Amino acid sequence: MKKQRLVSLLLLIGMIASSLSLLSCQGQKQKFVTHSLEYFDTATSITGYESTQEEFDRISGEILDLLGEYHRLYTIYHRYEGMENLCTVNELQDGVHRTVTVDQRIIDLLLYAKEMHGVTNGKLNVAMGSLLSIWHEYRTAGLDESRAAELPPKELLTEAAKHTDINNLIIDPEARTVWLADPAMTLDVGAIAKGYAVEMVARTLEEQGISGYVINVGGNVRTLGTKPDGQTWLAGIENPNPDAPQSYAVYLALAGESVVTSGSYQRFYTVNGKNYHHIIDEQTMMPAEGYLSVSVVCKNSAQGDALSTALFCMSPEEGLALVERLPDVEALWIFTDESQQVSSGFSHFVTRP
Amino acid sequence: MSKERNWGSPVSGSAKKIKNDIALIVALLALVLLATLALLLLRTEGDRVVVTLDGQLWGEFSLQEDRTVEIRNGDGYNRLVIKDGKAYVQEANCPDGICSAHRPIGYGGESIICLPNKVVVEIRSQNQGQPDIIS
Repeated sequence: MKKQRLVSLLLLIGMIASSLSLLSCQGQKQKFVTHSLEYFDTATSITGYESTQEEFDRISGEILDLLGEYHRLYTIYHRYEGMENLCTVNELQDGVHRTVTVDQRIIDLLLYAKEMHGVTNGKLNVAMGSLLSIWHEYRTAGLDESRAAELPPKELLTEAAKHTDINNLIIDPEARTVWLADPAMTLDVGAIAKGYAVEMVARTLEEQGISGYVINVGGNVRTLGTKPDGQTWLAGIENPNPDAPQSYAVYLALAGESVVTSGSYQRFYTVNGKNYHHIIDEQTMMPAEGYLSVSVVCKNSAQGDALSTALFCMSPEEGLALVERLPDVEALWIFTDESQQVSSGFSHFVTRP
Repeated sequence: MSKERNWGSPVSGSAKKIKNDIALIVALLALVLLATLALLLLRTEGDRVVVTLDGQLWGEFSLQEDRTVEIRNGDGYNRLVIKDGKAYVQEANCPDGICSAHRPIGYGGESIICLPNKVVVEIRSQNQGQPDIIS
């Protein structure tokens, strides 16, 4: 009798002790991750350290809501009831409508895109929508029916390439209007919008004093501070060769910086056994050749996004010269033969797991 | 039949017997709770393969147990194979085939994503030394 009471008492104490130990674990911040496939036609993941699932859900929910707002403004593939976005800007260029009044965030993005056009010597050009839409159409059709996959005819591309002059993108910041002075021109912000949106969302959170988070929209990574214990984030740069045994080409230690990778392995279609990826060089009107991936490490994720695409369309010499000229920007180029080139300060970020 | 024990009735048993029964029930409950807690704690220690479908948790598997899982979402179809501590998409009906071309994953934070079928396969691990983020 007494023995049994003792046993049940001991068991109860055991139960209470183990519940307490669980509770004390929750007092420390732990890592949470959430995914979304809703935005920018790619996969988004949010990683953060919080004490409770509820708190993480609240903050990651706010991040996703903000990303959703930017997505709806910047998409060129969908219109939304009751708002002007870049899709309507493209569609309204019929010679009748001239200017379109848009959200301030569209003006800000386009002004920044024009600035990066200058920085990259024209390699980052959001006015080449006509050219990119042809490739997009042929790629989508080729993926749907792989046996019928074909390349866009040269004449079609040549005609489209006549309507890509960014000087015909007229922005009036005061009136908040956009006008495409060439009616055959369209905008495609795919090379910069993700990074710009991620940067703006990250800054909004930083203003609220939030750190210990990482926003990753399709390889466009922006860290907010360090982990709660002050440790840096470990970022793996994907090995662009899927058959190689190592998953990562290099590991980086990040503390508030952004890393953005543009890769020919990310989005492509196959014609007669050859892969044609999505990063189009305006000069050749064809997918840029020479690299498997280019990664850019810098503070501003919008700059990283624009540069990673632009560097993909530049020779390694030209690209290296550009990166060395820009303050606090480092880059890693992985060539088609898997050899690498890095900028002078890149090794500063390289670490081992 | 009249000799059958009437549990909990003071007529058929002494107070001592009832107390013994209560102690036994408490002990059993405690054991079950402890076992559940132990299982929960142990589960977080092993590497897991977490599958989300359209943003919702769809399934969670041990990376250490070999198995084949068919993930269906409307017309979408991905066959996930877990084998020798690695997970990969063996076959899928998505147009781009990026998921089935992806290398097998086995380290914490690694993921295979099928955008057309809205499938995310992710490795969760408590082990140190694995990337927090992948670019």
